[in-house]
Amino acid sequence: MQYFTKIRQLLDNKFATRAILAALCVIMALLPLFLNNYVLNVLWNAFFYMLLAMGLNIIVGYCGLCDLGYAAKFAIGAYTTGILIKTYHWNFWLTLPASLAVSIIAALLIGGPTLKLRSDYLAIVTLGFAEIVRITARNSNITGSATGISAIPRPSFFGIRLVKPNHWYYVFLVLVIIFIIISGRIRNSRVGRALAFIREDEDAAQAMGVNTTSYKLLAYTIGAAMGGITGSFYAVKMTSISPSSFDFTQSVNILLAVILGGMGKIPGVIVGAAFFAIFPELFRDIPVIGDMRMLFFGILLIAVMLNRPQGLWPDKLGSEPGGLPGDINTVGRR
Amino acid sequence: MALMHVDDLTMRFSGITAIERLTLDVQEGSITSLIGPNGAGKTSVFNCITGFYKATSGDIVFDGQSLINLKPYQITYRGIIRTFQNVRLFKNMTVLENVLSGTHSVSKQSIFGALARHSAARLEEKAVLESAEYFLEYTGIYNKRHELARNLSYGDQRRTEWARALASQPKLLLLDEPAAGLNRGEKDSLIELIRKLRSDFSITVFLIEHDMDLVMKVSEKVIVVNFGVKIAEGTPNQVQTNPQVIEAYLGSEEEEDEDGFIS
Repeated sequence: MQYFTKIRQLLDNKFATRAILAALCVIMALLPLFLNNYVLNVLWNAFFYMLLAMGLNIIVGYCGLCDLGYAAKFAIGAYTTGILIKTYHWNFWLTLPASLAVSIIAALLIGGPTLKLRSDYLAIVTLGFAEIVRITARNSNITGSATGISAIPRPSFFGIRLVKPNHWYYVFLVLVIIFIIISGRIRNSRVGRALAFIREDEDAAQAMGVNTTSYKLLAYTIGAAMGGITGSFYAVKMTSISPSSFDFTQSVNILLAVILGGMGKIPGVIVGAAFFAIFPELFRDIPVIGDMRMLFFGILLIAVMLNRPQGLWPDKLGSEPGGLPGDINTVGRR
Repeated sequence: MALMHVDDLTMRFSGITAIERLTLDVQEGSITSLIGPNGAGKTSVFNCITGFYKATSGDIVFDGQSLINLKPYQITYRGIIRTFQNVRLFKNMTVLENVLSGTHSVSKQSIFGALARHSAARLEEKAVLESAEYFLEYTGIYNKRHELARNLSYGDQRRTEWARALASQPKLLLLDEPAAGLNRGEKDSLIELIRKLRSDFSITVFLIEHDMDLVMKVSEKVIVVNFGVKIAEGTPNQVQTNPQVIEAYLGSEEEEDEDGFIS
């Protein structure tokens, strides 16, 4: 634990944090010059999980709601963009507001009736809703049924057609930075504090004047909107989407990334998502062990959760482990 | 003038009557106490006032408007704030963040303000921070503002809860057993604090308390309930000598009398 304290001390220094962040941005921006396409794609995958994890973090980490169907939010965005481009020949960039709108409407329809109840019900409803979305997609013509939508044309950005891996690396890097800013601004605001009060003690939050139902709905909607936008970009990056990309395992993976890094902590969530995307790749080429890499990954996850239930990211100084917002035992429990 | 008027309030939970036809007034600017033996329905009255329980019948009028059918957060917006019997702080948040929760009902920044951080949003954020810091100073917890609430001593947790309640700039402060768990010295400073904040912020105070010494010292009016029914009302002296009150407190011989009412 000694080294966690050291890292934390460094991070609590504002100047040091800024310097580290600036250096990190420069390094990330220069990386594509030195890396091959395979590594770039792994990093892209890490960015992709970071986006999803940051979206889910608003719901789970900030507000303490348990969402077991986050894949549905990103499926809605991906399919909205896919259908609008393929069937209605829209420009990709114009599908983004549409995707945002559809995601928000879907979140309000699901969250509206559910979030009036105790938070635990949300877990069941989101799980069910995710399955409904997936099965509907598999059985509808407009979503291309089981084969999904393929050959979605790549968009252009100021005349550059986004086709190369490094293009997508940069697009997703920019998205990650935007999502970090959004998450950070929400966290350090009246809205973010209200969400945290709900997570900590719903009754006390109400007593302090927080309209818990509408703030829970707000968190759920923001999370869904972030997932939807990520889905839209995913659709044009992959050029094809199918129901199997949005199954329950995907929802669990995103939730694991959030919990692994440390719920509610932006750097923690980013580290969790990166770990989740990169770790299995490191072992891919090693014989024997490579085939069992998911097994090792599972063992490692258990080990991390046993030793640091509050996630990988170091806590604020002066706080002890256990019972933190990052503790899985506090999710959805009232 | 009565700031709050509880009229013929009845509260039943599946057969048990917690409050029966209770009528009481809390005068503006007064310190009023609600006392009664354990299980007399005192906290139920608070829960009805703050909207956590829905009264079976009757009315609660605050500042000229009925509170019936309002949600707890709406009642907070009307200017009523409560503290809890078992101090309910946001344990994993700092003392400052806890006190900032009090400013929620007196600020209005929305998600758009949070994301855009335009000048109005920044100004309001600065104002609520200053207000929170003022109340941290007022209750003497300023030095510990960056500590997590769960790491505080019990007395400091109480202080934080006070600062949090005051930060909402209430008209009426409901205190649910504010002296529970405090030692004699802390109780004396509590009495002082209650009097001080009334004169500093012209807050009306309505409290539930078991500690008779404190009740008799601090209140101008005492209301006694037993089994959900009001049995007496008056100045501390009047209540103390009321035979019905003495009977309610002593009850049958084997009943414990932890309150030391007639000591």
